[in-house]
Amino acid sequence: MRISIGCDHIVTDEKNYLVSYLEGKGHEVIDNGTYDKERTHYPIYGKKTAEKVVSGEADLGVVVCGTGVGISVSSNKVKGIRSALVGDVETARYAKETLNANVIAMGGRIVGIGLIENIIDEFLETEYQQSEANDRMIERIDALVMNEEQKNDDHYFDEFLEKWENGGYPNE
Amino acid sequence: MKIAIGSDAKGFELKEHMKEVLNHLGHEVLDETPDEDLDFFDATTKVVSVVQDNQADRGIIIDEYGAGPFMVANKHKGIICANVFDEHSAKMTRGHNNTSIIAIGAGIVGPKLAEKIVESYVNADYDGGRHQIRVDMLNKMC
Repeated sequence: MRISIGCDHIVTDEKNYLVSYLEGKGHEVIDNGTYDKERTHYPIYGKKTAEKVVSGEADLGVVVCGTGVGISVSSNKVKGIRSALVGDVETARYAKETLNANVIAMGGRIVGIGLIENIIDEFLETEYQQSEANDRMIERIDALVMNEEQKNDDHYFDEFLEKWENGGYPNE
Repeated sequence: MKIAIGSDAKGFELKEHMKEVLNHLGHEVLDETPDEDLDFFDATTKVVSVVQDNQADRGIIIDEYGAGPFMVANKHKGIICANVFDEHSAKMTRGHNNTSIIAIGAGIVGPKLAEKIVESYVNADYDGGRHQIRVDMLNKMC
Protein backbone atom coordinates (compact mmCIF):
# COMPACT_ATOMS: atom_id res chain seq x y z
CA MET A 1 0.00 0.00 0.00
CA ARG A 2 1.07 3.61 -0.46
CA ILE A 3 0.84 5.53 2.79
CA SER A 4 1.02 9.32 3.13
CA ILE A 5 2.37 10.36 6.54
CA GLY A 6 2.76 13.70 8.33
CA CYS A 7 3.52 15.17 11.74
CA ASP A 8 4.44 18.37 13.56
CA HIS A 9 7.72 19.12 15.35
CA ILE A 10 6.57 17.62 18.66
CA VAL A 11 6.56 14.04 17.35
CA THR A 12 9.16 13.95 14.55
CA ASP A 13 10.95 10.97 16.17
CA GLU A 14 7.70 9.01 16.44
CA LYS A 15 6.85 9.78 12.80
CA ASN A 16 10.32 8.72 11.65
CA TYR A 17 9.88 5.46 13.55
CA LEU A 18 6.49 4.91 11.87
CA VAL A 19 8.00 5.50 8.42
CA SER A 20 10.47 2.66 9.02
CA TYR A 21 7.76 0.51 10.64
CA LEU A 22 5.53 0.87 7.57
CA GLU A 23 8.39 0.37 5.12
CA GLY A 24 9.37 -2.73 7.07
CA LYS A 25 5.89 -4.09 6.40
CA GLY A 26 6.40 -3.56 2.69
CA HIS A 27 4.45 -0.33 2.26
CA GLU A 28 5.55 2.61 0.14
CA VAL A 29 5.64 5.71 2.33
CA ILE A 30 5.33 9.35 1.26
CA ASP A 31 6.82 11.39 4.11
CA ASN A 32 5.32 14.90 4.05
CA GLY A 33 7.34 16.13 7.02
CA THR A 34 8.02 17.87 9.16
CA TYR A 35 11.57 16.52 9.03
CA ASP A 36 13.19 18.15 12.07
CA LYS A 37 12.23 19.59 15.44
CA GLU A 38 12.17 23.24 14.52
CA ARG A 39 8.88 24.83 15.64
CA THR A 40 6.35 24.69 12.84
CA HIS A 41 2.56 24.45 12.38
CA TYR A 42 0.53 21.25 12.16
CA PRO A 43 -2.05 22.42 9.53
CA ILE A 44 0.73 22.55 6.90
CA TYR A 45 1.42 18.83 7.33
CA GLY A 46 -2.19 17.74 7.93
CA LYS A 47 -3.24 19.39 4.67
CA LYS A 48 -0.27 18.09 2.67
CA THR A 49 -0.66 14.51 3.92
CA ALA A 50 -4.41 14.52 3.24
CA GLU A 51 -4.07 15.93 -0.28
CA LYS A 52 -1.88 13.00 -1.32
CA VAL A 53 -4.74 10.69 -0.33
CA VAL A 54 -7.39 12.70 -2.19
CA SER A 55 -5.24 12.86 -5.33
CA GLY A 56 -4.71 9.09 -5.26
CA GLU A 57 -0.93 9.36 -4.88
CA ALA A 58 -1.45 7.51 -1.61
CA ASP A 59 -4.07 4.96 -0.60
CA LEU A 60 -4.35 6.05 3.01
CA GLY A 61 -2.92 8.65 5.41
CA VAL A 62 -1.39 8.61 8.88
CA VAL A 63 -1.02 11.84 10.88
CA VAL A 64 0.48 12.42 14.31
CA CYS A 65 0.97 15.48 16.54
CA GLY A 66 1.09 15.93 20.34
CA THR A 67 -2.56 15.10 21.06
CA GLY A 68 -3.37 14.25 17.44
CA VAL A 69 -6.13 16.86 17.44
CA GLY A 70 -4.60 19.70 15.45
CA ILE A 71 -3.22 17.58 12.64
CA SER A 72 -6.33 15.40 12.38
CA VAL A 73 -8.65 18.42 12.25
CA SER A 74 -6.55 19.98 9.47
CA SER A 75 -6.57 16.72 7.49
CA ASN A 76 -10.35 16.42 7.87
CA LYS A 77 -10.86 19.95 6.56
CA VAL A 78 -9.60 18.76 3.16
CA LYS A 79 -12.47 17.82 0.83
CA GLY A 80 -12.78 14.06 0.40
CA ILE A 81 -11.01 13.22 3.65
CA ARG A 82 -12.62 11.31 6.47
CA SER A 83 -10.11 11.39 9.28
CA ALA A 84 -10.38 9.40 12.50
CA LEU A 85 -8.67 10.56 15.69
CA VAL A 86 -8.31 7.47 17.86
CA GLY A 87 -6.63 6.14 20.98
CA ASP A 88 -7.61 2.49 20.65
CA VAL A 89 -7.73 -0.29 18.07
CA GLU A 90 -11.52 -0.79 18.18
CA THR A 91 -12.29 2.79 17.12
CA ALA A 92 -9.81 2.45 14.23
CA ARG A 93 -11.62 -0.71 13.11
CA TYR A 94 -15.03 0.98 13.32
CA ALA A 95 -13.88 4.11 11.48
CA LYS A 96 -12.51 2.10 8.54
CA GLU A 97 -15.23 -0.54 8.43
CA THR A 98 -18.24 1.77 8.78
CA LEU A 99 -17.12 5.25 7.72
CA ASN A 100 -14.37 4.20 5.28
CA ALA A 101 -11.94 6.54 7.05
CA ASN A 102 -8.99 7.37 4.79
CA VAL A 103 -6.72 9.07 7.36
CA ILE A 104 -5.90 7.76 10.85
CA ALA A 105 -4.65 10.16 13.54
CA MET A 106 -3.09 9.64 16.95
CA GLY A 107 -1.49 11.72 19.66
CA GLY A 108 2.20 10.89 19.98
CA ARG A 109 2.10 12.21 23.54
CA ILE A 110 -1.13 10.29 24.29
CA VAL A 111 -0.78 6.81 22.79
CA GLY A 112 2.25 4.55 23.35
CA ILE A 113 4.19 3.23 20.38
CA GLY A 114 3.01 -0.38 20.76
CA LEU A 115 -0.62 0.67 20.61
CA ILE A 116 0.11 3.06 17.75
CA GLU A 117 1.51 0.12 15.76
CA ASN A 118 -1.61 -1.97 16.51
CA ILE A 119 -3.92 0.90 15.55
CA ILE A 120 -2.15 1.43 12.23
CA ASP A 121 -2.15 -2.33 11.49
CA GLU A 122 -5.89 -2.53 12.18
CA PHE A 123 -6.60 0.58 10.10
CA LEU A 124 -4.67 -0.75 7.09
CA GLU A 125 -6.03 -4.29 7.32
CA THR A 126 -9.72 -3.58 7.98
CA GLU A 127 -11.89 -3.41 4.90
CA TYR A 128 -14.78 -1.06 4.41
CA GLN A 129 -18.08 -2.94 4.74
CA GLN A 130 -20.22 -1.61 1.96
CA SER A 131 -23.92 -1.28 2.77
CA GLU A 132 -26.68 1.12 1.81
CA ALA A 133 -26.58 2.76 5.24
CA ASN A 134 -22.78 3.11 5.30
CA ASP A 135 -22.62 4.44 1.72
CA ARG A 136 -25.38 6.94 2.47
CA MET A 137 -23.66 8.25 5.62
CA ILE A 138 -20.37 8.68 3.76
CA GLU A 139 -22.16 10.56 0.97
CA ARG A 140 -23.68 12.92 3.52
CA ILE A 141 -20.29 13.59 5.13
CA ASP A 142 -18.58 14.14 1.77
CA ALA A 143 -21.38 16.47 0.60
CA LEU A 144 -20.87 18.95 3.44
CA VAL A 145 -19.96 22.33 2.03
CA MET A 146 -16.20 22.54 1.67
CA ASN A 147 -13.58 25.00 0.57
CA GLU A 148 -12.16 23.99 -2.83
CA GLU A 149 -9.82 26.97 -3.34
CA GLN A 150 -7.27 25.53 -0.87
CA LYS A 151 -6.80 22.36 -2.94
CA ASN A 152 -3.13 21.58 -3.61
CA ASP A 153 -2.24 25.23 -2.88
CA ASP A 154 1.12 25.11 -1.13
CA HIS A 155 0.93 28.86 -0.51
CA TYR A 156 -2.49 28.77 1.14
CA PHE A 157 -1.08 29.68 4.57
CA ASP A 158 1.47 32.26 3.37
CA GLU A 159 -0.38 35.25 4.87
CA PHE A 160 -0.11 33.69 8.34
CA LEU A 161 3.50 32.55 7.89
CA GLU A 162 4.46 36.04 6.82
CA LYS A 163 2.75 37.50 9.88
CA TRP A 164 4.61 34.91 12.02
CA GLU A 165 7.96 35.84 10.45
CA ASN A 166 7.27 39.50 11.11
CA GLY A 167 6.55 38.90 14.79
CA GLY A 168 2.79 39.23 14.34
CA TYR A 169 2.12 36.32 16.70
CA PRO A 170 3.39 36.22 20.29
CA ASN A 171 6.29 33.77 20.59
CA GLU A 172 5.05 32.13 23.79
CA MET B 1 -20.74 28.83 30.69
CA LYS B 2 -23.39 27.84 28.15
CA ILE B 3 -22.81 24.36 26.80
CA ALA B 4 -24.72 22.78 23.91
CA ILE B 5 -24.96 19.01 24.12
CA GLY B 6 -26.29 16.40 21.74
CA SER B 7 -26.25 12.68 21.12
CA ASP B 8 -27.46 9.90 18.86
CA ALA B 9 -29.36 6.91 20.23
CA LYS B 10 -26.20 5.14 21.43
CA GLY B 11 -24.94 8.21 23.26
CA PHE B 12 -28.24 9.21 24.77
CA GLU B 13 -27.78 7.69 28.21
CA LEU B 14 -24.32 9.20 28.69
CA LYS B 15 -25.61 12.55 27.42
CA GLU B 16 -28.33 12.56 30.09
CA HIS B 17 -25.67 11.81 32.71
CA MET B 18 -23.37 14.57 31.37
CA LYS B 19 -26.22 17.08 31.61
CA GLU B 20 -26.41 16.43 35.35
CA VAL B 21 -22.62 16.67 35.68
CA LEU B 22 -22.54 20.01 33.85
CA ASN B 23 -25.45 21.40 35.85
CA HIS B 24 -23.67 20.35 39.02
CA LEU B 25 -20.55 22.22 37.85
CA GLY B 26 -22.72 25.32 37.52
CA HIS B 27 -23.06 25.45 33.73
CA GLU B 28 -26.13 26.15 31.67
CA VAL B 29 -26.86 23.17 29.40
CA LEU B 30 -28.66 23.44 26.08
CA ASP B 31 -29.88 19.97 25.12
CA GLU B 32 -30.05 20.00 21.32
CA THR B 33 -31.23 16.39 21.04
CA PRO B 34 -34.06 15.71 23.50
CA ASP B 35 -35.23 13.00 21.07
CA GLU B 36 -33.44 9.70 21.39
CA ASP B 37 -33.63 8.48 17.80
CA LEU B 38 -31.24 10.76 15.90
CA ASP B 39 -28.16 9.52 14.05
CA PHE B 40 -24.74 11.05 14.79
CA PHE B 41 -24.86 13.22 11.67
CA ASP B 42 -28.04 15.03 12.65
CA ALA B 43 -27.03 15.24 16.32
CA THR B 44 -23.68 16.77 15.33
CA THR B 45 -25.25 19.24 12.90
CA LYS B 46 -27.59 20.52 15.61
CA VAL B 47 -24.78 21.15 18.10
CA VAL B 48 -22.56 22.68 15.39
CA SER B 49 -25.14 25.27 14.34
CA VAL B 50 -25.74 26.40 17.92
CA VAL B 51 -21.98 26.84 18.46
CA GLN B 52 -21.54 28.58 15.07
CA ASP B 53 -24.32 31.04 15.99
CA ASN B 54 -22.63 31.78 19.32
CA GLN B 55 -25.70 30.65 21.21
CA ALA B 56 -23.42 28.38 23.22
CA ASP B 57 -19.80 28.82 24.35
CA ARG B 58 -18.89 25.20 23.68
CA GLY B 59 -20.43 21.95 22.47
CA ILE B 60 -20.34 18.28 23.39
CA ILE B 61 -21.49 15.45 21.10
CA ILE B 62 -21.84 11.86 22.24
CA ASP B 63 -22.31 8.77 20.08
CA GLU B 64 -20.82 5.28 20.28
CA TYR B 65 -17.26 6.02 19.04
CA GLY B 66 -16.81 9.78 18.70
CA ALA B 67 -15.24 9.24 15.27
CA GLY B 68 -18.34 10.10 13.22
CA PRO B 69 -19.16 13.38 15.00
CA PHE B 70 -15.48 14.38 14.64
CA MET B 71 -15.65 13.90 10.84
CA VAL B 72 -18.93 15.78 10.50
CA ALA B 73 -18.21 18.69 12.88
CA ASN B 74 -14.81 19.49 11.41
CA LYS B 75 -16.28 19.89 7.92
CA HIS B 76 -18.07 23.00 9.17
CA LYS B 77 -16.65 26.51 8.91
CA GLY B 78 -14.94 27.73 12.05
CA ILE B 79 -15.50 24.52 13.98
CA ILE B 80 -12.59 22.77 15.67
CA CYS B 81 -13.74 19.50 17.20
CA ALA B 82 -11.67 16.91 19.08
CA ASN B 83 -12.58 13.28 19.67
CA VAL B 84 -11.48 12.93 23.29
CA PHE B 85 -10.84 9.80 25.35
CA ASP B 86 -8.49 11.05 28.11
CA GLU B 87 -8.32 13.98 30.53
CA HIS B 88 -4.98 15.27 29.25
CA SER B 89 -6.22 15.70 25.68
CA ALA B 90 -9.41 17.33 26.99
CA LYS B 91 -7.38 20.05 28.68
CA MET B 92 -4.62 20.41 26.07
CA THR B 93 -6.92 20.66 23.08
CA ARG B 94 -8.75 23.59 24.61
CA GLY B 95 -5.45 25.26 25.49
CA HIS B 96 -3.72 24.72 22.17
CA ASN B 97 -6.41 24.20 19.50
CA ASN B 98 -9.16 26.48 20.90
CA THR B 99 -11.47 23.50 20.43
CA SER B 100 -15.10 24.57 20.45
CA ILE B 101 -16.64 21.09 20.47
CA ILE B 102 -15.58 17.74 21.88
CA ALA B 103 -16.90 14.36 20.79
CA ILE B 104 -17.04 11.43 23.21
CA GLY B 105 -17.64 7.78 22.30
CA ALA B 106 -19.93 6.29 24.93
CA GLY B 107 -18.96 2.79 23.76
CA ILE B 108 -15.28 3.54 24.41
CA VAL B 109 -15.21 5.97 27.33
CA GLY B 110 -16.89 4.92 30.59
CA PRO B 111 -19.11 7.31 32.58
CA LYS B 112 -16.49 8.19 35.20
CA LEU B 113 -13.82 9.03 32.63
CA ALA B 114 -16.39 10.98 30.60
CA GLU B 115 -17.15 13.10 33.68
CA LYS B 116 -13.46 13.90 34.12
CA ILE B 117 -13.00 14.65 30.43
CA VAL B 118 -15.91 17.08 30.41
CA GLU B 119 -14.71 18.70 33.63
CA SER B 120 -11.13 19.08 32.28
CA TYR B 121 -12.44 20.51 29.02
CA VAL B 122 -14.81 23.12 30.46
CA ASN B 123 -12.27 24.22 33.08
CA ALA B 124 -9.50 24.79 30.51
CA ASP B 125 -8.92 28.11 28.76
CA TYR B 126 -7.45 28.77 25.35
CA ASP B 127 -3.76 29.74 25.64
CA GLY B 128 -3.66 31.97 22.53
CA GLY B 129 -0.15 33.22 21.85
CA ARG B 130 1.79 31.20 19.26
CA HIS B 131 -1.11 28.74 18.98
CA GLN B 132 -3.21 31.37 17.20
CA ILE B 133 -1.38 30.99 13.88
CA ARG B 134 -2.46 27.32 13.72
CA VAL B 135 -6.02 28.16 14.68
CA ASP B 136 -6.06 30.88 11.97
CA MET B 137 -4.90 28.26 9.45
CA LEU B 138 -7.63 25.80 10.48
CA ASN B 139 -10.32 28.46 10.30
CA LYS B 140 -9.21 29.51 6.82
CA MET B 141 -9.48 25.90 5.60
CA CYS B 142 -13.15 25.74 6.59
